[in-house]
Amino acid sequence: MSNYWPWWAGAIGLAVVAINYTITTDRSFGVSSAWDRVLHWRAERRVERLEAEFTDDRALAEALAAATAEHFGTRPAAPTPPYAASTLGNAPTHARDVSPTPGERASVASRRPAPLVSQAALLLSVFLGGWLAAVTAGRFELRFDMGDGFRELVTDNPAQMIGVLFVGGVLVGFGTRLAGGCSSGHGLNGCGRLHPVSILATAVFFGAAVLVSFLLWKVI
Amino acid sequence: MRTRGGVLIANIIAGLALGYTVANIGFGDYAELNRMFTFQDLRMFLAFGGAVVIIVVVFAMLRVRGTPGRIHAGVIPGAVLFGTGWAISGGCPAIPIVQVASGYLPALVTIAGVVVGIRACRWANAKYFHLDGGSCGR
Repeated sequence: MSNYWPWWAGAIGLAVVAINYTITTDRSFGVSSAWDRVLHWRAERRVERLEAEFTDDRALAEALAAATAEHFGTRPAAPTPPYAASTLGNAPTHARDVSPTPGERASVASRRPAPLVSQAALLLSVFLGGWLAAVTAGRFELRFDMGDGFRELVTDNPAQMIGVLFVGGVLVGFGTRLAGGCSSGHGLNGCGRLHPVSILATAVFFGAAVLVSFLLWKVI
Repeated sequence: MRTRGGVLIANIIAGLALGYTVANIGFGDYAELNRMFTFQDLRMFLAFGGAVVIIVVVFAMLRVRGTPGRIHAGVIPGAVLFGTGWAISGGCPAIPIVQVASGYLPALVTIAGVVVGIRACRWANAKYFHLDGGSCGR
């Protein structure tokens, strides 16, 4: 089983995935939040529809404000954001000071979650990508166990295996949502941005996993 | 790439590449995972840590920051539950998908557990915890 990638190839691969995604979309991706949104698609669709209406309303209000300003030859009132003013062709000087660095653009775009369909596509593509990797590396094999490691370290009883996997899955699902992210959202994207909450979460989930893995290896 | 179609394509590319990479690193292999968490084999640990280092450097150069989520009361308990679940089932939310795709059919049970856990968390949060969404991946 040594046909896995060397560590540096894995590091470059994971980094390229996260960096490419951020550069192309100004967002950060997380597998657990993709799961969360896909599983609650009914509620999420309602939110998306409301947001679309809200955006329309806001565009209408902005257009009205701009038209009014044009009619009376005045600038819109002070709290109007710079981009509304710039549509009049007399952008205030401070608008030019705001250089569109990736970070600033990211913080604006990432306020809204990625569309629901694209989150479902992310999960399906992970499946396809994993399948391609297994088939091309000659590792693909339909089996009803979780491999020798699981049998030796956890259990060789199929009923117990089902129970352990289910409980583990529930812990993973509940825990990642409670913590606000998983190894991709907090671990790669959050730590990559040096977000304190992500560094804390990653340290704690790695620590807990190390502790439990040692227990499984040495004690149980 | 900020349109709906652009984000969809980016998600498909990210998903394919993530699934392909994670499977080839060996995260879907329970024995490898346990050897990583018990420091018997640092290969996967270095792959993950190395990726974080590269991302930190590149994001610093590109000045990518984003808005960090708040450290709310759910972060530490949630991370403890997640770490425990990861160590016993071998699955973080993407891994069981990769495991099924590699032929490990019992990982479907892990996925069922993840589904139940995620739904239970949203339900429990609405009913008891009332933590703000503070989710990182959004």
